[in-house]
Amino acid sequence: MALEEGDAGGDDSFGSAARDYLGRGRTAAGRRVGVTEDQDNLMGWLFVAPNVLVFSMFLLGPVLFAFYVSFQEWSILRNAGEFVGLENYLTVLQPLPVTSEGLNLRVFTNPTENLFWYSLKNTVVYAVGTVPLQILGGLAVALMLDKRVRAKKAYRAAYFMPVMLSGAASAVMWRWFLSADGVINNFLRPIGLAHNWAGDPATALGGVMLMAVWGGIGSNMIFFLAGLQNIPEELYEAARIDGASRWHLFRHVTWPNLGNTNFFVIVMAVISAFQVFGIALVFSEGGPYYATTTTVLLIYQRAFDEGAMGEGAAMAFILFLIIFAFSYYQYKHQQSGEVEY
Amino acid sequence: MARSSYEYPGYERSGVGYWSKTALLYVVVTAGALWMTLPFWWTITTSLSANPQASEVSFIPAAVTLQNFVQLWERPDILLVRWFVNTVIFAGAVTLFNLTFDSLAGYALAKLDFWGRDKLFLGFISTMMIPGMVTLIPVYLILVELDWTNTYQGLIAPLIAGPFGIFLLRQHFKSLPTSLGEAAKIDGCNEFQTFYKIYLPLAKPALATLAIFTFMGAWNNFQWPLIIANENEMYTLPVALFAVRNQYFAEWGLMMAAALIIVAPVLVAFLAAQNYFIRGMSLSGMKG
Repeated sequence: MALEEGDAGGDDSFGSAARDYLGRGRTAAGRRVGVTEDQDNLMGWLFVAPNVLVFSMFLLGPVLFAFYVSFQEWSILRNAGEFVGLENYLTVLQPLPVTSEGLNLRVFTNPTENLFWYSLKNTVVYAVGTVPLQILGGLAVALMLDKRVRAKKAYRAAYFMPVMLSGAASAVMWRWFLSADGVINNFLRPIGLAHNWAGDPATALGGVMLMAVWGGIGSNMIFFLAGLQNIPEELYEAARIDGASRWHLFRHVTWPNLGNTNFFVIVMAVISAFQVFGIALVFSEGGPYYATTTTVLLIYQRAFDEGAMGEGAAMAFILFLIIFAFSYYQYKHQQSGEVEY
Repeated sequence: MARSSYEYPGYERSGVGYWSKTALLYVVVTAGALWMTLPFWWTITTSLSANPQASEVSFIPAAVTLQNFVQLWERPDILLVRWFVNTVIFAGAVTLFNLTFDSLAGYALAKLDFWGRDKLFLGFISTMMIPGMVTLIPVYLILVELDWTNTYQGLIAPLIAGPFGIFLLRQHFKSLPTSLGEAAKIDGCNEFQTFYKIYLPLAKPALATLAIFTFMGAWNNFQWPLIIANENEMYTLPVALFAVRNQYFAEWGLMMAAALIIVAPVLVAFLAAQNYFIRGMSLSGMKG
């Protein structure tokens, strides 16, 4: 996101002559004559007060509170905690087999793996599998629907339809399409590929990913269409005069000039991929055999199903750090110039 | 007349090469569009089938029946109307609060001059980076303390303002001329009247965009209502769908009918105001 900084006085369209005539211009500091600084400050903060209140109550306060909770053994009955130091973090991160004590409600199928790491692996597989397809798919569709196709409105509407859909509804739908006697097997049975896609640990995460790509292409398409509008036509003209091929036009004009769009789309897609939760929960409740247990789903189950709030908060913080590191890296990378792939 | 971006010297709009490429383009675009829309069609056909099995539900259901919808209506444990009303209240209230608070803040950040303004704006924007799950646990614990679980205020309160709306409206107010406000003040308007009577009506396009996306986001929100509402009467539609899914697992006709009821309002709104949706989407995402 590009932020506009400075510009404290706004775009003052009064000419200096008009200001003199009205006698109510601005001082050198940009402040209106006749209004004290205190009055301005009070007015400004009154306008933002509701938001400041909501942000401190439901965003900033809670982040600090979460940090506190992550060092507590939290009892949901008393809604209070007991300080346990780094224990939650160690429980979550230990590369040791999961003991029955740590996860008393679970029978883990692969006891050599820690469930947190396993969920991170699932999340990374999900992100690596869906983000490029969502973005490249969105870009490809945007390029195809930018100018050359008739009835582009109808096509754009078709690609945008899945974006309208609630994650819970689409997860229920895709679960049915991919189930043993679901619609997709209708097409695969004649060629002998019918399979219980959603019920098999080997393919369940793939099913969630297929659904996510389906639902993600449309919004990226819109972002890229908007980005394409902002590329000046003259750049193409100039390149064409130099005899650039269509691939060269894309590689040297379109792609570099989508820089801001690329940054925005990639960061948003990765952040939301690392937070995938609802569709995995509704699709398969993390199963079969934890195949679709993503990190946020694990946090939800530990914190809200099993009441381990401290452990949930610790996991949430680790995830936060991962997302933050990625966003920071992307931001620095983008600032250092053109994004190359 | 601007030429297509894809023309280059030697590229003629005729000949076998051109037509085969065009045909290929349409095949690819159409195949993709089918992939996007077929699931909706299958959802409709499944919801209209009595006992959907693999061979029966494909493109056209063998026998059309409304029994799934009737069941949704009649089963005593499916509180369809209540859930629908809950979702309307939740999404409606969240939208109204967001429009009010975000336009106030967006206006102040764009047009007023006060101490700490730019830092505050930066602070608002950077909260977009905080993953939902980090705040979910503490916000839930706070609302437990307030005894707000399973209440409308508990559903609504944490979502009544958002950085996205502030950002969108600030950008819009910034694009409106400052002279309007100065003229209004000369005519005797105070700061709030200037905002309310002069600038707010001019921000209607941005407000409408924000309204559409806030309402849609709340309507489809699954994560927060799932956590705060655990009584049947307080479910919103997406959460109810999840709960029903557990009880009537593999009653696919019923599930698809329920999914359609969640999707239908948004889909109808989208098809009616398609251009607006798409323009709003690009505006909200990209304007910076």
